[in-house]
Amino acid sequence: MAHNNDNMNFDHVVVNKPSVGQRMFKYRWFYFMFLPVAIILAIFYYWPMLGVRYAWSTYKLKQITLRTGPDYSIGWGNFERLMTSDPFHSAFKNTIILSFFNLVLATVCTVVIALLINEINHAWGKKIVQTVLYLPHFLSWVVAASIFMLILSAGTDATGADTSNTGFINAILLSVGIIDKPKDFLTESSSWRAVWYIMNRWKETGWGTIIYLAALSSISPDLYEAAEIDGANRLKQTWYITLPSLMNTILVVFILNLAKIMNIFESVFVLYNSLVYDVSDVIQTYTYRVGIVGNDYGYSTAIGLFKSVISLILVSASDIISKKIRGYGIV
Amino acid sequence: MKKKFNLFHPQYAARSWFVLFNSIFFILLMVIMIVPIIKIFADSMVNQTVYGLNLLPRGLDPETDQIVWFNTIAYKRILTDPQLYHPFLISVYTTLMTTFLGLLISTLGAYVLIQRDMPGVKLFGYMLLFTMIFNGGLIPTFLVMKKVGLLDSLWAVMIPTSMNVYNLVLMRSFFEGIPASLFEAAEIDGCTPLGIFWRIVLPLSKAALASIGLFFAVAAWSEYFHYVIYIKSSDKYNFQYKLRDLFQDKQDASEGTKINVNTLKSAAVIVSIIPFLFIYPFCQKYFMTGVTMGAVKE
Repeated sequence: MAHNNDNMNFDHVVVNKPSVGQRMFKYRWFYFMFLPVAIILAIFYYWPMLGVRYAWSTYKLKQITLRTGPDYSIGWGNFERLMTSDPFHSAFKNTIILSFFNLVLATVCTVVIALLINEINHAWGKKIVQTVLYLPHFLSWVVAASIFMLILSAGTDATGADTSNTGFINAILLSVGIIDKPKDFLTESSSWRAVWYIMNRWKETGWGTIIYLAALSSISPDLYEAAEIDGANRLKQTWYITLPSLMNTILVVFILNLAKIMNIFESVFVLYNSLVYDVSDVIQTYTYRVGIVGNDYGYSTAIGLFKSVISLILVSASDIISKKIRGYGIV
Repeated sequence: MKKKFNLFHPQYAARSWFVLFNSIFFILLMVIMIVPIIKIFADSMVNQTVYGLNLLPRGLDPETDQIVWFNTIAYKRILTDPQLYHPFLISVYTTLMTTFLGLLISTLGAYVLIQRDMPGVKLFGYMLLFTMIFNGGLIPTFLVMKKVGLLDSLWAVMIPTSMNVYNLVLMRSFFEGIPASLFEAAEIDGCTPLGIFWRIVLPLSKAALASIGLFFAVAAWSEYFHYVIYIKSSDKYNFQYKLRDLFQDKQDASEGTKINVNTLKSAAVIVSIIPFLFIYPFCQKYFMTGVTMGAVKE
């Protein structure tokens, strides 16, 4: 076979690449196949991008029948308004605090648990642990928040009326004697954030380990054998081999999530309430309340655009860093 | 292969302690993860006013004053009250539709994107990726939905969930794994592009279809926020929305019955996760395929 190939010399054959028109004709059916995607992209993704112009307008829905269109006479007024708005400052601050601490907690918890899962030698035990830890990821935020509201319940409903339905956590704390009357964790500013962090960790930590476990399984066993011969114990092997090998993955996951820090929304939306806006209100929930509930389209578009621009900068920065670390970007 | 060793030999004492503590740690961790769900399950089958620390589905029935195991009164309520089972049917319908539409859109899109010689294919790819980093935002999208008349229609919920750029890109990387020689051979045999798609691409990507289909199904089932923005009529709400309504105490669904409101809430939580709990043990490997694939390609 090999020498047969050597005899075949196609150098003298000139292949003309078909012209664009010919290629377009050849692929004509593919354009039809792309049509559904193209239409959805155009209508639901690119058309709304034109709508960012409302950010420079006053555009309010007065009543269902008495509608006013956008009025562009205010210039940068919406942006000036949001720069001096207290609720916006609070929402911006909360977004950064919640996302950032959640990201740090996520990185630490996920890496530690991934390392420990990796140390489980029992195949079945490992599978059971993984199955259980991955499970909460698939529950919706509504379900997760509902579960937390039930187990944290202080025995009153949203109107404050007594229902005597003291939740699991309050029951434990009461029986141990840490507290003497049920505490409503979700309506107190001092505890709301802690609950939110715990809910996020409960739901996502297990699932987050997958990527680290994949990275751990690709570390060459030769490294560990060499270390063992040199007399390094397991702790030293973890410190000098496992962690440095994981560093790249940790950084990349951290950067990917850093690019998304402005996007927290649904997890907050299902857990917060008007009593804890000061610690829980984030940009997206604020946009929702101003725009959809308050029908102030112009101002809320401005808030949304502000958020999108910061996100865009973060994603671009992450892309550049990612290219530096591993040679290719994130998008 | 590791050499066989006796864990309790003094040489491995440190390792043995570690294994012991690691096992205890994971048993505790699993308990912490799963106890909230078990507690909700237990409470959903206890129709009494005080739950406390009870973790078993048994409790005093206030009507008969007897201890009852597996009291299903709240579940019966959910199955018979149209206000509660209708949203469940909406959830089933939108999940099936979104999974089908999502797979249709992502397979067609991905199949086009792997045609390297097609003029404009790179532009299509960039246009898709750009939507991942920038979008018009909540209000402009809402106003477009309003202009095209999809407000208060289930399509407003199903279309955005079906069009998932991440899943499309994932599908493309699955398709890229199909040997190009297969396409060439089929083309020489006179197979049309659609024929190749139907007879070669789809049958060879069953694992991808299963795992991405599951992603769509889970996303569609969990859908909540799109209902909040776009849906106004109460007969179009899905089960997640109804569940949230119950918890916001907007209306007391247990009114006029002898069911404790928290028993009903717990039962509603369980009903909304049961379809998933049934398929999860059998489909876990498909969920995993998608993620590791995405992780490698990312």
